[in-house]
Amino acid sequence: MTDAAIVRRVLDGDSDAYAILVDRYYDRYARFAVHMLGNREDAEEALQDAFLRAYRALPRYEERERFGAWLFRMLVNRCRTTAVRRRRREKMFPSGELALLSASVQPDVEDSAWREELTRALAVLPAEQREAFLLKHVEDLSYEEMAELTGAGVSALKMRVKRACSRLRELLQEEHSVGTT
Amino acid sequence: MSEPRDLIDRAVRSLRQPVEMDPAARRRLVATLREAPAPRIGPVRRAWRWLARPRPVMVSPLTAVAAAAAIAIVALARPVGDGANPDQVDTPLASATNAEGAAANGSELAGAADSSGIRFSLVAPGASRVALVGDFNDWNPGEHLLRPSVTEYGVWEIWVPLEPGRHVYSFFIDGRQWIPDPVAARAVGGSVSAPSSVILVGERSS
Repeated sequence: MTDAAIVRRVLDGDSDAYAILVDRYYDRYARFAVHMLGNREDAEEALQDAFLRAYRALPRYEERERFGAWLFRMLVNRCRTTAVRRRRREKMFPSGELALLSASVQPDVEDSAWREELTRALAVLPAEQREAFLLKHVEDLSYEEMAELTGAGVSALKMRVKRACSRLRELLQEEHSVGTT
Repeated sequence: MSEPRDLIDRAVRSLRQPVEMDPAARRRLVATLREAPAPRIGPVRRAWRWLARPRPVMVSPLTAVAAAAAIAIVALARPVGDGANPDQVDTPLASATNAEGAAANGSELAGAADSSGIRFSLVAPGASRVALVGDFNDWNPGEHLLRPSVTEYGVWEIWVPLEPGRHVYSFFIDGRQWIPDPVAARAVGGSVSAPSSVILVGERSS
């Protein structure tokens, strides 16, 4: 069943059908939220906000837009809001949470030291660079899609991705050289 | 030791791995959704959605030819200029009285300005600042700042009283990006190099 058909079912009174959309998109979008926010608790909060807002806004959803893209746009915004709220509350990425994030990645794929390096390096990037890097290289969006999603211009986004790659490379090299010496 | 390029590739491969979330979080979300009020849709909006929903239509070639012929006959039979008001031909929008409707519905030309002005709107959910710039404010990005709509997610809007006539304008996002109005006619030529749009404002019809 297509997303649009499920939305129609929900709007026709079958509220439980929305759980199908939750199942369809939760894990897929959890990855972005976790990497963007750096820990699972905040990611869960952002995901919950995004799904709830989308649910309430379903009457305004236009079928000419893909539901997934519509929901993802809300999630990107919720991640920004959550990050701002957390910055007010506490310093980003307290040391205790790095291990938590590392543990959230499936085991047997990468060694834990590398994951920790990567998480730390990603956390150092400015939020807008981290967002652009994840959208481009991890979520595999085109620059045009990113521009539509974020409201930023294509050239600005290209610059953010370029800077993010350079900074990430430096940070990972530093970590790597420290780790190997 | 890994090469720099390899480090980014490796990072991307790692970041693309699925992330394991607490299954209880999803259950909590579903439980919260069950308690949330069901989204409701009004009969007018429901009817509009039904009408606007794209769907495949099965038409035989014979029916299509007959329909095309009927349209051609109607078009050719229509009297040209018969009964038309010359004023309305010259100023086709002079009779429009609802400037908001004309602008908000995506018409490239807005209608007559009223006391509340013309509504300009733009969907830009990721923007933090959206300015309306045009020849009516000397392209000053500080003069007409749009506000987030309280009823439409991601929509920015502003009402601006404009003098009757032709105006060229654009949106300026976050102090760095020009965006012409996606639902209006594009301005061609002129002194403005940035992509911009055109709006025609008619005389008040009252």
